[in-house]
Amino acid sequence: MTADAMVIGLGSPDRGDDAVGAAVAERVRAVVGDDVQVLAREDPTCLVQAWDGCRVVVLIDAMISGVAGGTVSVRRAGTRDAPLPTHAFAAAGRGGSHAFGVAGAVELSRALGTLPEHVAIVGIEVTTLTHGPMSAQVEASIDKAVAAVRAELASAGITTHGEEAGTCA
Amino acid sequence: MTHQLKDGGQVLNVGMLARVEGEGGMHIEIKDRQVVSVKLNIFEPPRFYEGFLRGRKYTEPPDITARICGICPVAYQSASTEAMETICGVTTTPEIQLMRRLLYCGEWIESHSLHIFMLHAPDFLGYESVLEMAKDHADVVNMALRLKKCGNDVMELVGGRAIHPVNVKVGGFYRMPSLTELVGLRPDLERGLEDALAAVQLVSTFDFPDMEQDYNYVSLRHPDWYPLERGTEMVATSGVRFPIAEVTDHIKEFHVEHSNALHASFDGEKFFVGPLARYSLNFDQLSPRCQEAALKAGLGETCRNPFKSIIVRTVELAYAFEEALRIIDLWQDGHAPSVPVAPKAGEGIGASEAPRGTIWHRYKIDADGIILDAQIVPPTSQNQASIEADLRLAAQQWVDLDDHTLTHRCEAAIRNYDPCISCATHFLDLRVKRS
Repeated sequence: MTADAMVIGLGSPDRGDDAVGAAVAERVRAVVGDDVQVLAREDPTCLVQAWDGCRVVVLIDAMISGVAGGTVSVRRAGTRDAPLPTHAFAAAGRGGSHAFGVAGAVELSRALGTLPEHVAIVGIEVTTLTHGPMSAQVEASIDKAVAAVRAELASAGITTHGEEAGTCA
Repeated sequence: MTHQLKDGGQVLNVGMLARVEGEGGMHIEIKDRQVVSVKLNIFEPPRFYEGFLRGRKYTEPPDITARICGICPVAYQSASTEAMETICGVTTTPEIQLMRRLLYCGEWIESHSLHIFMLHAPDFLGYESVLEMAKDHADVVNMALRLKKCGNDVMELVGGRAIHPVNVKVGGFYRMPSLTELVGLRPDLERGLEDALAAVQLVSTFDFPDMEQDYNYVSLRHPDWYPLERGTEMVATSGVRFPIAEVTDHIKEFHVEHSNALHASFDGEKFFVGPLARYSLNFDQLSPRCQEAALKAGLGETCRNPFKSIIVRTVELAYAFEEALRIIDLWQDGHAPSVPVAPKAGEGIGASEAPRGTIWHRYKIDADGIILDAQIVPPTSQNQASIEADLRLAAQQWVDLDDHTLTHRCEAAIRNYDPCISCATHFLDLRVKRS
């Protein structure tokens, strides 16, 4: 049975800050109930199938946008939100599968009519993607990212337990 | 984008070739309706993998070379483990070979299902991308995603990861999956096989441009099965055949000015590796069910129309599902995951059939197992000359088409090869110049 809500940490566990998605998801696992499924995935092409039938999805992924490392930001991409902007696959829609990322998965799901109503992408600005451990900056941002995930779940009517859900700037 | 030149010629620019793995460029020059120059430009700087393998331990290439590509890591792992085991004089067990073949089935399923439906099918169904195609052909795209997931599941269980497997080592695996775990894959694989067989018939209904080339196909060959994770010899339609150990006597790499990926020749001539070559040289090794599906789809026992590679690739997709099921049905628990491999000074070659074609690795190690020399030859590098030959023929054959249509036809001709420029390198920029 598909869960009502899903929290997905995306990224490679071996590549420095790219592991942050799974690390945040693992922390969230401790504060959600049975109505929330928590997953860690490396391959964005699996997302469309993974969240099919789900009402609420919070996706956590590493991000490179030029802001300070460890910055946490949230973008909503559900059925009532605007399509995601420029991306090799989502915008041009023409990249190879190496270029298929979160935007590609969201927009393909939208085209297929399987995009969940609530989709929130919690992005954590990263500083290193080489093999090895996470940077201190990104590790220090995990609490804030967990709070952002809880806030997104709360906004979709999903309650979490433990510490009070925080908010994200 | 079309540019009119001062001498009356034209230059057509496409910023990036679409729906291939990685990025690269192409330049076609047409003068007085004659194609005078075709160049596949690959100008991504070399990635130096061969360089930084030197000085590393003989046990490291399966993990290091797997990182060359997120689409075909198992191809690299299989070729490198075989090369090292050959050097060290070790033969693994039949069970380890079976499990390697199952892992390779997972990679073929992942890669073929992506290319067939998400990158190649839009060419034949008239869409710019799978995102547009999905609106009208949701059932096909959903099937593709299901098939891809089956490949991911096999890779995760056997390889430990869906993208860059971590369970492969020289000598075998770190851990064998249990029979219970493997049997758990069966329902999805059974459905996948039926879907793939139906897809063979679906893609056979596409409208294929009429174009054939007299390719010299080259592929691995094994006396007992269709080549995936290894072969015993390399064969060519030219009639040449030889043990894998002699590949460097026949395939020579060389540099051309317009590509940072080395070109290659086979006995001094261009050649073709990939599904069309495998199929044409190993049709007799396909399962009866896949042979029947291929013939029903209108293929002969060989195929020389590169645009029909999508049918051949789909036949291979079905075969990978069938093989995965066969291996699971054979499996029993209790087998050692690996055999010990002690270092031994020497030089050796390993080869496997990546989704895009034959890949081979050559290593030289010292008595302590330190790598002294490494050579990695992926399929896209070997196919560059054939890709250029196809582009030349396609551009000439359809020279009277308008620039937009001709450009699209040329891009599709490249996609027939499912090139992985990320393996050979990156970046493609398409230019057609008329004068």
